[in-house]
Parts: sequence; structure tokens; C-alpha cells
Amino acid sequence: MQAKANALSQGFIRCHDCGYLVKTVNQPSSCPRCDSHLHARHPHSLQRTTALLLSSFLLYIPANIFPIMIVNQFGAGEPSTIAGGIVELIDAGMIPIGLLVLVASILVPSSKLIGISLLLLCAHFRWQVNARRWTTMYRVIAFVGRWSMLDIFMISILVDLVNFNGVHIIAGPAATAFAAVVILTMFAAENFDPRLLWDNQQNL
Amino acid sequence: MNITHYDACPECDLLLNPNTASVGEKAHCPRCGLLLSRPRKRSVERTFALSIAGFILFFPANLLPMVGITMMGNANTGVLYSGVVALFNNGMVAVATVVFLASILFPLVHIILSLLISGHLYFNYPNRYLAHWMRWMHHLDEWVMLEVYMLSIIVACVKLMSLAKLEFGWGLYAFIALIVVTTLLTGNLDNNLFWQRIHQLSNRDNNAS
Repeated sequence: MQAKANALSQGFIRCHDCGYLVKTVNQPSSCPRCDSHLHARHPHSLQRTTALLLSSFLLYIPANIFPIMIVNQFGAGEPSTIAGGIVELIDAGMIPIGLLVLVASILVPSSKLIGISLLLLCAHFRWQVNARRWTTMYRVIAFVGRWSMLDIFMISILVDLVNFNGVHIIAGPAATAFAAVVILTMFAAENFDPRLLWDNQQNL
Repeated sequence: MNITHYDACPECDLLLNPNTASVGEKAHCPRCGLLLSRPRKRSVERTFALSIAGFILFFPANLLPMVGITMMGNANTGVLYSGVVALFNNGMVAVATVVFLASILFPLVHIILSLLISGHLYFNYPNRYLAHWMRWMHHLDEWVMLEVYMLSIIVACVKLMSLAKLEFGWGLYAFIALIVVTTLLTGNLDNNLFWQRIHQLSNRDNNAS
């Protein structure tokens, strides 16, 4: 068969939802198998991803400087930020769990923001790169995103369990911002189309 | 008119010969390395069975107490939905909604959809909504976060262990079983096969009528 041919340049569109390959000759607008709207690449992929990414960059600031959780002990509130919670865990000797939370709530979101920015720049400026490696990076980013919800779920469990007369935990304003960052970056990764990386490569 | 003899990689758009991987084999895209398909033995039957199991397990996992805590003589128990309620009473409506969707509603809808789809395929019973259900399930996949929730239960328990006495209830065991079942379910669900079967069923239905 033709070596290294893009389906689009050969006149085929792959349905985004069911994977059916459709000939573009007679310009069908919806997939004959699953009836979803056909598009060769995600529509406005770069614009949408950029918009979602910029909003998550902005929300990432309040997510890190405001307290995510406030421990009220006999009337005195003790707020802790995302980073503060990790330091507490490591100070208490719970190093593996501390590292886990460090990965899930600091390393993953920040490397995701940087990674999606790089992917966008690469697709926009048509960098000549090893597209296979960049696609792998995209895949990793898309896979790890959901694990950042760890902190949010943990807060919901702690708020529920630690609710006594003397001691109770409440969620802080950073929780909303952090949840928004996680969800927006998940949408950003979903909207980015890795095929754009391949379209730009001249010497495949 | 639209029948093609090719296939395309979803992530690099390489035109491929239709994949001929048989059960137990894996087909990767030669250019970008994406796992294209991994056919499973008796995919429809297994998905149907696992969906039934998941649907049954969903209720104890959601209704029975998961973790009990005793701190300074006071006791408290946590259920899956009580975290959502607590956040809601805190005034964190947005966060409560997200937790509710990702840990309760989306998993339930996902299981119901896969139950409906695999049930229809198992009994060869056509339904004009099959393609819609399949698409919704495909979109929901990423937002079902039960295993993330499990990890945060572990982290929360480790945090509380030194401060309070913890007890694990039947809800937690049902929840773990639910995670095992849903993981097996996504592993056994062969997307390509399901779409082919749905297509065949709807064609047969159209020809009959």
C-alpha cells in the first residue's frame, strides 16, 4: 500500500466518534454509521485549546496561593495551601503519600500546562520535530489529567469525615479554582488534535 | 457507496489496511505507535455480564457506609454521597457538583449505557438509539473517575490514621469490587467490534422494514 500517506490527503475522513472511514468525494456531512458530524480535524482545535489553556493558567494562580482546606480546631482556623498540605505530610513522616500528592496535585497540573503550551506552539509554528515523540507526550498528558482530581476528592472525604464539635475541616476557595484548572486542562487536551502535529511535518 | 477498504489511525491520520488482529493480538499504528485495537474473546458476552455485575454493585457501593471514624469519643461515618453533601453545605457548590458527577452520576450512566448496548447486541435486538448510546459512552469514558476516588480514600485515610481510629465498612469493599468490575469492563469492551455489530443490526433492521 501507499507508504506513509495521510488519510485526508487520500480523500478519506475518519469519523471522530466511531472510527468509520468515509470517502470525502461526495461531501457527506455526517457519518453514515453513527450519524455524528464529520470533520477531518477537530474544528478550531488550536483556538479552543488556547482559550481553555489561558483560562487554566489564570485559575492556576488562585489555586496555589489561596488555602485549599481549613482545619478548624476549637475555634482557631488553620488554613493550608496545596503545597502546605504536602509539606505537612512529609514532615509527619508520610513520605510515599506526600510524594503521591506532590505528583498528583503539583507536578501533573504544572507539567500539563507547560506540555499543552508546547504542543500548541509546535502545531502553530509548524516546528519540524519527531512527531512520534510529541504524539507520545500528548498521549501521556491526556492520560494523567484526571488523576489530579485526587486532591479534590480527598477534600470531599475529609470535609465529610472530620466534622465534630471540637474539630472540623472546611474546603477553602482554592478548591474551586483547582477543580476548574483540572477540568479545563482535560478539555484542552481533548480539544487538541495530535494529527495537526503530523500534518506539519514535511519530511515523513 | 461509502464502503472503504482502508482504516486510518485516529492520532496521526496514517492510512492503513483494515486491521486483522485476531483475539489475543494487539494492533499498533506503525507510524505513531498508538494501540489501534486489541480484540477480546467473547467481548459482547463479557461486557454484558460485567455491566450487570457493575450495576448491582453500584448500589451497595453508594448506599453502605465506607469509612467510620472515631475521634475524641465522637463517631462519624462516611458514605460515597455524604462527601458531596458536606461540600454542598460548606457552600462549595461547584466543587460538590464536580465530585457528584465524576464519582456518582457519570459512573452510573456509563454502566447503564454499556448494559443497554451490550444487552441489545447480546440478544441481537436492534434499537435506533444504539449509536447515540455508544457515542455518549465514548465521551463519558474519561470522566468516570472511580479509581482516582479510590486513591484519594487511601490518602485521606493515611492522613487521618495518626489522629483518629478508622473502621472500614461494607460500602468500601463494594466500591473496590465496583472498580475491579469497571476496569475489566473497559478492558473487555472492543469498540471496533461493537460499532460493526451496531451497524449490522441497524442495516438488518432497515432491510426488514
